[in-house]
Amino acid sequence: MDEDSAPRKVALVANCLLNQNAKVCEGARYRGLVSPVVEALRSRGYLLQQLPCPELAFAGVRRWWAVYEQYDTPAYRAHCRRLAVAIAPLIERHLRRGDEVILIGLDGSPSTGVRFTSSKPDWGGRPNRPEDDWEIVPRRGIWIEELEAELARRGLPPLPATGWALDMGRFDEAGSRADLEAFLDHRQGEPARHPGSSEPL
Amino acid sequence: MTTDARGWHVALVPETLVNPPARLRAMLPDVLAALDAGGYGVLQLPPTGEHRLLLAVIADQVAEYAHHGYAVVAIGLQGEPGNGLHWRRLAPLLRNRGMTPPLRHIVRAGSDVELEGQRLASLLAKHDLPPQEQQRWRV
Repeated sequence: MDEDSAPRKVALVANCLLNQNAKVCEGARYRGLVSPVVEALRSRGYLLQQLPCPELAFAGVRRWWAVYEQYDTPAYRAHCRRLAVAIAPLIERHLRRGDEVILIGLDGSPSTGVRFTSSKPDWGGRPNRPEDDWEIVPRRGIWIEELEAELARRGLPPLPATGWALDMGRFDEAGSRADLEAFLDHRQGEPARHPGSSEPL
Repeated sequence: MTTDARGWHVALVPETLVNPPARLRAMLPDVLAALDAGGYGVLQLPPTGEHRLLLAVIADQVAEYAHHGYAVVAIGLQGEPGNGLHWRRLAPLLRNRGMTPPLRHIVRAGSDVELEGQRLASLLAKHDLPPQEQQRWRV
């Protein structure tokens, strides 16, 4: 089997894991690439597939910080669905050829959170909230919800997924790296492939 | 107040340079490593083929950066169709969003890899907006 036809390992990565310029002001912890994530994935043979940044394309690079509830609007969800429709064909192509596909989001993000998102139902109005005045709750962000819904509409299986814990309030790079490596090295269950087959369709 | 580490530099990068196939790996500089060292963020372009909606989505993001003080560059690969940059479609999309298409730097596979890496690093190091534009936005 040559390189072009052999199943591959593919990591869908949140936009800001390859581009910290996408973060809200004060949210960038790296100049550009989040190198620990890139190194962890490349050293294990994963190809990288960057996802679009829904917040940047919707509210701009100079947007305010926000929580899940502020983005949970019909207009933002429609925007996320448009992005999902744009990127889904690439993901579907990987799955249908039998590639292993995983998703690395951004835990704590209102949009790209996988295990956790940020929540504060009463946020709104003048953006003068005190530091850390939000909660971390165990649920997907809006963008991940809409992306997974689009993949399900296409009859594709749920993807093994985790989040790089950048937006959890207190960023711990070493802990985040250990957490990601544990996910990559000790994942439970079968990698996402198209249902009923380990072979490309 | 936390500090913000963003580099204010963004590179459009073809699929083939983000994920170089084995047959090309020894013939190319490590573009992601060069961008990391240069403080650039990456916007990954799709592989060859029709990706109308995705390119429009990418153009939205690129224009947003260009309009707010970020230095944008496109890193192509010689020998790929359109250098892997989808330029015939992407350039008009950028113009339609009020942006002059960014500088293109083309990486050559198979020539002197070290020299190609130096050419790229040199370009990345010197590419930026005029000082007054930097001061306007990067506060």
